[in-house]
Amino acid sequence: MKLKVYRYYEGMVSPRYDIFEFEPYSGMTVLNALFQFQEQFDDSLAFRYSCRGAVCGTCAMLINKIPRLACRTQITSLINEENKISLSTYPAIEETVPWDPEDEVLVEPLPHLPVIKDLIVNTSKFFRDYLFVEPVLKPSDPAPEKERLMEPAAVKELEQYTNCILCAACFGACPINGGNPKYLGPAALAKLYRFYIDPRERKRKSRLKQADIPYGWWACEFRGNCRLVCPKNVPPNTAIAKARVELTKNNKSR
Amino acid sequence: MLILKKIFQIRGDETITLASNQNAESNSTKGSSVIHHHDILIIGGGLTGLRAALQISDADLDVVVISKVHPLRSHSVAAQGGMNASLGNIPGEDGSIDSWETHAYDTVKGSDYLADQNAVSIMCREAPTTVLELEHMGMVWSRLDNGKIAQRPFGGAGFPRTCYAADRTGHNALNTLYEHVMDCNIPIYEEFFVTSLVHDNGRCVGCTAIEIMTGRVHGFVAKAILMATGGFGRIFSKSTNALINNGDGQAIALRAGVPLKDMEFIQFHPTTLYGTNILMSEGARGEGGILVNRDGERFMKHYAPKSIDLAPRDVVARAIEMEIAEGRGYEGGYVHLDLRHLGADKIMERLPGIRQIAIDFAGVDPIIDPIPIQPGQHYSMGGIDADINGVTLLTGFYAAGECACISVHGANRLGGNSILETVVFGRLIADKIIEDISNIPKPEVELVENAVQEIDTRIEQILERTGGKHLFIIIDSMKHTMFNKFGIFRDSQRMKGGLSEIKKLQDQVSQVSINNKDRAVNQALIRLLELENMLLLAEVVAYGAINREESRGSHTRTDYPKRDDKRFLNHTITLIQDGKINISNKPVNLGMFELKERVY
Repeated sequence: MKLKVYRYYEGMVSPRYDIFEFEPYSGMTVLNALFQFQEQFDDSLAFRYSCRGAVCGTCAMLINKIPRLACRTQITSLINEENKISLSTYPAIEETVPWDPEDEVLVEPLPHLPVIKDLIVNTSKFFRDYLFVEPVLKPSDPAPEKERLMEPAAVKELEQYTNCILCAACFGACPINGGNPKYLGPAALAKLYRFYIDPRERKRKSRLKQADIPYGWWACEFRGNCRLVCPKNVPPNTAIAKARVELTKNNKSR
Repeated sequence: MLILKKIFQIRGDETITLASNQNAESNSTKGSSVIHHHDILIIGGGLTGLRAALQISDADLDVVVISKVHPLRSHSVAAQGGMNASLGNIPGEDGSIDSWETHAYDTVKGSDYLADQNAVSIMCREAPTTVLELEHMGMVWSRLDNGKIAQRPFGGAGFPRTCYAADRTGHNALNTLYEHVMDCNIPIYEEFFVTSLVHDNGRCVGCTAIEIMTGRVHGFVAKAILMATGGFGRIFSKSTNALINNGDGQAIALRAGVPLKDMEFIQFHPTTLYGTNILMSEGARGEGGILVNRDGERFMKHYAPKSIDLAPRDVVARAIEMEIAEGRGYEGGYVHLDLRHLGADKIMERLPGIRQIAIDFAGVDPIIDPIPIQPGQHYSMGGIDADINGVTLLTGFYAAGECACISVHGANRLGGNSILETVVFGRLIADKIIEDISNIPKPEVELVENAVQEIDTRIEQILERTGGKHLFIIIDSMKHTMFNKFGIFRDSQRMKGGLSEIKKLQDQVSQVSINNKDRAVNQALIRLLELENMLLLAEVVAYGAINREESRGSHTRTDYPKRDDKRFLNHTITLIQDGKINISNKPVNLGMFELKERVY
């Protein structure tokens, strides 16, 4: 098996690809393979990591042309690619270098964010969009003595969105994000929707208004990649669709 | 074609700009180094660090967070099962209602009487307001049908006391705190690796840190520093911990003359996924999951007749290890955690996260098959010796959370008490810092500048090295030595062998060279510095474990199988004196609950 890894550092004219041969073992993930590369081949390879258990959202990258978490992606699943998802195509996943999916794992940085070194990208833009939606609960009343009561059903709906680990895989998979740097993107919009549907929130309607702008809810073209690549099954496209329906209703009733 | 070629200004720089804006006149650049001035530094961006930062920011003081990773990547995010608090939302079996005193009793008994009872009382008394405070901030908790926060049974607890958010409690809590930290515009120095504390005459005046993305060494001048860097589980080969849990905070503190406490007490979680040792929450057994050996026997009934599968972690971990040692485990060394009888609905509702992990990492769907599990390192009960106010031996230097040992867990932590400790003491120790800060004079900058130069020179020297043993081989050797020689069962001979191996590795690490000679984004360099920290802590753990000739909580000596209150009802205190590890002890705070044998 071969790992074909994107290499880039500041000052390079264009990136190169390094090839590293390794023996896959049962349970081996792409993250494991990257560590092997770093430990046995070149200790200057740069990539981010933390939990290695698909909960912290650090290691999203483009693996065989699909944005995903390196720690969650099993090498064997790539050889057969049994669960292959087919993404709606966009420039960043077009061919960059020839590779043989039968024998090679192609690892590249997450698209739509500037590369700092190798597989490490600058996520500032992603987190700026996150902050744009003011992701913090603005409750309707001063804190009561006990908990604010919530229906289990409300929690169930909220959970779909609070499960987001802000790994930015959706950002790297969204064709609109790639074409329009102003677009808030699926993660930020899903986060905004999470606060909109929180029954404890004070001005729920004004929450929707925050992204009632050309590069907010309305920029989405429902290509659906966000949902497909999300390692936590968060459905940003559903949130966006529901928000648009609500906004349209509100605008009509005015 | 990839459209990613252009390099933008890196994130670290932008964060500095953010920080500088608030202190535009107080930051200076000397040579290649940058010096920052802040009243209060918090090192670590997990639950403790973020909660403390909020409290200090609310008091309108100048506070910043320094973290080796983006705060949301901190290991707190991985906490699964929940947070204990005697809310009493679910009555006990006989209809009785939970109280903080019962919570405290369970905690002290769970600790095998080594926890400081005054510290435990504070934590348990503050627990209900802490859970509610997070709820009020916007954290989403799982709910009962009546809309109140849901609670589940956990090991060693007399009541269903553990408040939870499915099995993603830490994730929800950390996100909520981060949202507020961002809302308060608290500056964060992201991806800064702290390299030393700067101190003078028993007083902490700042720290140094490498900005990982550029490799520049920065100096931070501060009146007060709160260490909140988490545990050091990665000194062991089998661990549930994130790969970033290297004990940097404890090692840096120890080198600055701050004692560590009870470092030999390492929690081995009974149920970690076979192969990767990713945590399978205790909540799985709280919801009714059972442990089964190769003969299909529910073996825990032999080890804890009353609590069975919900005995505390040390008890269950030992039991599994015994089953495996006596040939009743599966080949490779594991037993089964069986959830199938809970049914698909309950598994999907209460334990969706670990189900997904089992599918992704072991190819096992717990709805259909039992989960292969084995014990693995999980938590560090010991840490920086701090009192109930987070105060350490070094004036102006405080510690809280897993990196500290305020001693609420003693010799064994109960499930659901760790993230409780982080948020309770994050707030309380911030209050103490707020109280103290007006009496602390502004430190001189020279000491920090000199320290930056020292670190800079040291990095230069490391990068100049050639030859030596391979860095990653030493890391592996350390991890295996620690797991095999200082694991669940310990004895003098094995441990002494382990200690000499650790010392050998320490000698080797001072010679090791790395091929990457760049300053910017040099992860090999960071891993080498982490390894130095880990090897120091490994040695401290070893000395503590060899010295403690008794069995208490997680520390099980086959050569001293009994608890020995006469000799060892005290805390182990470790210091570096004249370049050598020095061990002494300190009394345990008792008085609320009397000593008893620990039976479950």
